[in-house]
Amino acid sequence: MTDLCDLNTVHFGDASVDFAGLREETTSVLGAQELSAERCVFVVDSVREALGCVSYGISHDLDFGVIERARLSPEVEGRFIEHAVQLRNAHDGTVVGGVVAAGEIKRGRVTVLTSGTTGLLKLIAHTAATLNTFDRVKSLPENTWFMPYQIGSYAWYQMVALGLFKEGQGLIPGDFSDLAASFEDAVTRGVVTAISSTPTFWRHALMSIDEDILTRAQLRSISMGGEIVDQGILDRLAALHPKARIRHIYASSEAGAAIVVSDGKAGFRASLLERTDGVIGVKMEEGRLYIRSPYANRVDAEGWIDTQDLVEQRGDRIYFLGRAGNTMINVGGQKAFPQDIEAHLMTHEDVLWARVVARKAPLMGALPVASIVLRKQMDEMAAELMLTAHCEAGLAEFAIPRMWDFLSDIPMKASLKS
Amino acid sequence: MERTEILNIINMIMTKKGRAEITDESQNTREVNFRSLDFSETALRIEFKIGSELSFEAASMRKIETVKDVLDFFEEATKAV
Repeated sequence: MTDLCDLNTVHFGDASVDFAGLREETTSVLGAQELSAERCVFVVDSVREALGCVSYGISHDLDFGVIERARLSPEVEGRFIEHAVQLRNAHDGTVVGGVVAAGEIKRGRVTVLTSGTTGLLKLIAHTAATLNTFDRVKSLPENTWFMPYQIGSYAWYQMVALGLFKEGQGLIPGDFSDLAASFEDAVTRGVVTAISSTPTFWRHALMSIDEDILTRAQLRSISMGGEIVDQGILDRLAALHPKARIRHIYASSEAGAAIVVSDGKAGFRASLLERTDGVIGVKMEEGRLYIRSPYANRVDAEGWIDTQDLVEQRGDRIYFLGRAGNTMINVGGQKAFPQDIEAHLMTHEDVLWARVVARKAPLMGALPVASIVLRKQMDEMAAELMLTAHCEAGLAEFAIPRMWDFLSDIPMKASLKS
Repeated sequence: MERTEILNIINMIMTKKGRAEITDESQNTREVNFRSLDFSETALRIEFKIGSELSFEAASMRKIETVKDVLDFFEEATKAV
């Protein structure tokens, strides 16, 4: 049985329960089942059930995972059948759908779910060890973490592993039906001291929650990941929470957590590429980032994983440009990178969120077009003039968006990315 | 699309870029600083307005020298939609 931090607490509104209590709840409903002879994923109706299942599964070295019932569909269930994964109700252990033919079982495997860039559910194999990315952190101050991630995602498991394996780390699961409201509630209660989330979550929170309430939060630690973290959001959070330690973490469900940046700047130091003594290796080849990490779930023959992320060195720093594939916009033979343009747009004080994509256009082949969420409403033509002038001060002529769409809300996916 | 509507779009782009509005069709596009990117944006905005993609021969773009040529080009291209 793996040693777990049984006394760490999870807060559900006014109530709180420790991990031992959560595990007991699950043991009372699943304890009679023989689950060690199958690969299963527990279908849960609440985050409480999900946390109980993870605590139970890890402590019993099961080959398991969790998924919210709301995510099930014939297509999703088909993916589990393909992988010989048995779906079981977390509340009583009964089979969901049909009985699945037994496949290979690996004790201690944790099935992480990701929708990837294709939207198709992927099953990624991890273990408690590869999820416990905080195991090398020597001194971690006591914290209560707001946890806004979707049940079963890599980021969610990382946070659960933090609560399960590191002493003094409490969790506050966010209510996925209204994350900003549940964050506001946790802040108002004064229980939250740390948060791990995405830049999109923060932009959403900044738009939805009164700044006075946000500044009242006694946040000591702010971690962000899952998307490119731009200078604009780093500066904004630093202004709101000057005492907080703000970090952005490069991690993916396949490469694991790899780079932690805490100097308040976007990108990471180029000197990391030269390091050969660390546990994590980082290299750049033909503009792509490669990682060597003990937390990765698959690697090539030399231990490297191709992250598919495009990077570029500017001075002594490496910046992320986006995913390999079709992210670059070819404007009449000139290369414009949407993430660069978005990052520049988000340095404007009136811009809360920006998304830039290519739009096919005669003569130039393609032009950058932008979707924008402003902090406060204004005349669209005036906003276009204002942002065009802002872009002219920092971007090449060909990279300046030519068409603008002003949205009222940030489109946020279940992964908390946009 | 009406010629005046096309000119309005062009002048909106010129204004946005801090350039003087075009009043004389015979002016050379270089003289008024109407660039390839502006031409491309004009096409996109026209497509957006008429709700359909413009179709034209690339060769016809090479003949463009004056503002009149630009207006003729888009007038023709929108007729074909």
